[in-house]
Amino acid sequence: MDTVTTVNLTKSYGRQAVVQGLDLRIPQGCVYGFLGPNGSGKSTTMKMLLSLVQPSAGEVHIMGEPMNRRTRRRQLARIGSLIEAPPGYGHLTGGENLRLVQRSLGLDEAQVNRAVQAVRLDKQLDKKVANYSLGMKQRLGIAMALAREPRLLILDEPTNGLDPAGIEEIRELLRRLASRGVTVMVSSHLLGEIDKAADHFGILAEGRLLFQGSREQLFAAAVPDVLIDTPEPRQASAVLDGRLTTRVEGGSLRIGGIDNRVTARVVADLVGAGAPIYGVRREEQSLEDVFMTLTAGGRL
Amino acid sequence: MTPSLSAVLGTELGKLKRSLSWSIVVLLPLVMVFAGSFMTLVSQQQLADGWHTLWLRSVVFYGLFPLTLGLGILASLVWRPEHRGGNWNALMSTPVPTLRIVLAKTLAIALLGAVMQLVLLIAVVVTGKLLFGLPGLLPPRYLLVTALLVVAVLPVAAVQSALSMTFRSFAAPVAVALVGAGIAAVALAAELGGVIFVLPHALTARATQLATGTFGDSGQLTAGGSLAIVCASAVLTLLVVALATRFQERRDVRV
Repeated sequence: MDTVTTVNLTKSYGRQAVVQGLDLRIPQGCVYGFLGPNGSGKSTTMKMLLSLVQPSAGEVHIMGEPMNRRTRRRQLARIGSLIEAPPGYGHLTGGENLRLVQRSLGLDEAQVNRAVQAVRLDKQLDKKVANYSLGMKQRLGIAMALAREPRLLILDEPTNGLDPAGIEEIRELLRRLASRGVTVMVSSHLLGEIDKAADHFGILAEGRLLFQGSREQLFAAAVPDVLIDTPEPRQASAVLDGRLTTRVEGGSLRIGGIDNRVTARVVADLVGAGAPIYGVRREEQSLEDVFMTLTAGGRL
Repeated sequence: MTPSLSAVLGTELGKLKRSLSWSIVVLLPLVMVFAGSFMTLVSQQQLADGWHTLWLRSVVFYGLFPLTLGLGILASLVWRPEHRGGNWNALMSTPVPTLRIVLAKTLAIALLGAVMQLVLLIAVVVTGKLLFGLPGLLPPRYLLVTALLVVAVLPVAAVQSALSMTFRSFAAPVAVALVGAGIAAVALAAELGGVIFVLPHALTARATQLATGTFGDSGQLTAGGSLAIVCASAVLTLLVVALATRFQERRDVRV
């Protein structure tokens, strides 16, 4: 079952569309990496999921129920979130901030303690939030979101301001939450920050969803180049000239954007034309490569 | 489970810990009472009518401008932390219904206003006894006026809270309070009694003039006059809270 579904989710300001026709599907218990360059509409989308911003068109359903201004407060009882900057009252200590959350939501001490331990903030609770580093504020914000023990956690760039060790801790936390059945949606403009934690991805560019699916589907979506190893790459290139875009690289011929069926025909044609071939392989690619391909080198 | 109003109000009061609001609550009435007394001492005048004169010199001007301004500043101080960092998004992402947020903020500001009236009352009593050696205690009618004032700060608290909720600016709502106080002073001087049912700032100002005989007041504390203050306070407060809730419920956060 999907925890979050949207249908044609759109937000426009005047004639400018910020988010266009999003059909999100976030499966229950997954870590959904919501990726896209700055200004691609990630935060606006997350705000629409929380009904902080009302869509210009389309619908949001959370756990099977519509999410809108009439239903949002009921729905928000089971959603934890951290959007843009971390929350926290600077004139109060971290502990006092958490007690405010505890009191207003009627939580018990154990729930708050578990949230604090999850983000490893136990030793910083007596310090005023105004004196917190950005990383500590992020941890406090995540603890405030976790304290209500949500079934859905929406985190907008939660690793901002964290050092590498802190980022790894957050990744570990997200994986742990997902293993307990919590659905986590986490945004970032940097793939490297969440690619190890996420098992599903949505890639947004200019307000449109370029890709959505599992890690495996993401790899499959961007077909890696075929490399044909031959001592005569120029001869091989001449055979395919005009039919496919090829590039000679040392002792190999690189061909982009062809599927397995076309690859087999290319090999047959080359062999038929007498070109010597001793290897055919697809290039190994990282998730970063896939992301760059889908977002046209990150320029989108 | 939807959080109760008392839980939300408790949370709002918790946010006032170490808040600058408390210095306004204590200092503003103290300064006003001591300023009135100081002028009396400097001019070597006597308090011709004892406690009544002291009350008059402490409260009449305070009720026209400083009280409303003070409430405006308190509302801006109470809302200011919500406009910082991610607090606004967090506030709007809780299961607390918007009506309870608006109501709890209004009550928190009104509570600060109520404490301000108590500080004023205590300051008048202390000044009367220690500085002027007035006989007896402050007449009970001024305790009743103080009780009415506690009620009458509610509509201004609601309006100023709504403004400070809507605008991130600290100063703009305070400026509105100043303009409201100015219009109220003019209207009361012109003895336009009905203005208290329309302009919350005028209602609060009118309540401070009760039993003083100034600005169209008869000098007597009547049941009818008191009831009008209580009714107008209730109606205006509910109306402003309802409108502010409706407005906030429709408004988006900033993108």
